[in-house]
Amino acid sequence: MHREGTHTYNMPGGLRTLLFGGMIIGLICLVLSWFMGDDIHTRFWTNLLHNGVFFTGIALMATFFITVCVTAWAGWHTVFKRVWEAISMFLIPGSIIMFVFAIAVFLHMNHLYHWADTSEATMNDTIIQGKSSFLNTKVYLILGGIILAVWCFFATRLRGLSLDEDKNGTLEFTQHRSMRWYAAAFLPIAGFTSAAMIWLWIMSLDAHWYSTMFAWYSGASLFVSMICLTIIILVYLKNKGYYEEVTAEHIHDLGKFLFAFSIFWTYLWFSQYMLIWYANVGEETIYFRERLDNYPILFWGNLAINFVLPFFVLMRNDTKRKFGSVAFVAVIVLFGHWLDFFQMIKPGARHTAHEHLAHAEHHGGDAAHHLEHAAHHVGTAFEVGYSIPGFIELGTGVGFLCFFLYWTFSRLSKASLVPKNDPYLAESLHHHV
Amino acid sequence: MAHKEVIYGLYDDETDLLKAVKYANKEHLDIMDVFSPFPVHGLDPLLGLEESRLHIAGFVYGAIGTLTAFLGMTWIFTKDWPIIFGGKPYWSVPAFIPITFETTVLFASIGMVVSFYTVCGMGPGVSNPTLDDRITDDKFCIAFDGSHMSSSNAEAFFKATGASEVSSKVL
Repeated sequence: MHREGTHTYNMPGGLRTLLFGGMIIGLICLVLSWFMGDDIHTRFWTNLLHNGVFFTGIALMATFFITVCVTAWAGWHTVFKRVWEAISMFLIPGSIIMFVFAIAVFLHMNHLYHWADTSEATMNDTIIQGKSSFLNTKVYLILGGIILAVWCFFATRLRGLSLDEDKNGTLEFTQHRSMRWYAAAFLPIAGFTSAAMIWLWIMSLDAHWYSTMFAWYSGASLFVSMICLTIIILVYLKNKGYYEEVTAEHIHDLGKFLFAFSIFWTYLWFSQYMLIWYANVGEETIYFRERLDNYPILFWGNLAINFVLPFFVLMRNDTKRKFGSVAFVAVIVLFGHWLDFFQMIKPGARHTAHEHLAHAEHHGGDAAHHLEHAAHHVGTAFEVGYSIPGFIELGTGVGFLCFFLYWTFSRLSKASLVPKNDPYLAESLHHHV
Repeated sequence: MAHKEVIYGLYDDETDLLKAVKYANKEHLDIMDVFSPFPVHGLDPLLGLEESRLHIAGFVYGAIGTLTAFLGMTWIFTKDWPIIFGGKPYWSVPAFIPITFETTVLFASIGMVVSFYTVCGMGPGVSNPTLDDRITDDKFCIAFDGSHMSSSNAEAFFKATGASEVSSKVL
């Protein structure tokens, strides 16, 4: 059944060169974005935040799904669980990037967050002051740092136990029993902390606005992206002759997750939109007013790519079982959710930056008047890099993706592709839907 | 309905059943039907069953439901009896979506149930005799049409494949 030499993965030199090339492109784009746009480098900071959150979130979702499967006593995924373990390891570099970002926020090196502003206007802003016990730079840095450390701990611990099971696993399944404890502990922790982090990182970019559905909405987006990347990596590895044990049955299940959670994402998208539309409270509608008026391509494109396409393509049974069609949808939907995060981040940050610049320009004058002026007339025109992603954004995205894939593949090559001694391995090898 | 004789064998285990079906395929025996208390993995391809077309019908019913609800509400709220709700426009698409969704599900589910019952010839007052009541519990059954298969051949087959009981019934 097993072919020799396909048990462990070795990253070929060609792929390594390709991924390093992509990382260099990303780095060049990041450096270029520093010198483009406004004086406070909004484009650079938003691109860093966008890709940092997106790929760190995907790694968190991999950890989350491992713990879900362990807790649910699921066995279908066991044959390729190393891929999720490898993806979850991106939490380490991702956390470092996000922590460095948090230090930059703490030191006021960027001006993405309205609540981090120390001007008099913000100090007198009752809405922002009302949220200031959570939205402040200390919480952003310290609570954020603690949460990231907790995520990294669980991800490393779970992978460590799984790798130990390969070497020292017995019929007592001590490692798996231990994983159940860690998994059960991680689930509520992940539930609350992921919401807190997404509020800090993204929702607070629109500091006046809030949505109780936001954490679920962005979480669903990240989950779909994680499934997309899993499918892409598995289909790639199968094409290279690895993972003969992964069959159409496993891909079918992943395709079902992609289909189902794309619909779940749409459900949350719609619920968030409709509740805010229906209640028509100014504090809430501003988020959608801004996007509908000034970012229509992003707003409607998001729904078309992430709902219409996977819904109609993956509805049939056989498109979920063919590697080509599933991988095709996975690539497009991954880009779609990257775009979704782009439209969550850019408008709010752009607005804050314009307010900040207008305030700095007219410092000492009739600040309040100019602030209002800035808020209504500046920073809403079509602009590449905000209204749609430009080459700089795409390049940065490619760079982060290559970094992510390089990290994943190098973790993947550290252990046997198919785990040994896992109690659910036999079930997974004979998986049939 | 014309009466016909059915010769059938009961197996205790689904692995025996799968082996027996494979054996029958090899011998080119014409199996009339297979009964089991639960879906047996890998049985459909062995029996050469086509993929059900029920889901295509389901999609069509669902699409009809979507159009009925959406166009219906559009007509009612813009032409037939326009009412302003909460200061919203007459044609309030977001407010139509939940009802459109629910009608889609309703049409698809009722349509598929009716189609399925019609295709299977089921309905009120229709009796469906079972070969043996235990095939709804813990027995797995292979049935041959008596007019295509002699009873001696059938018995030889059931004996070779380890059936626990062999019997026949006129339906």
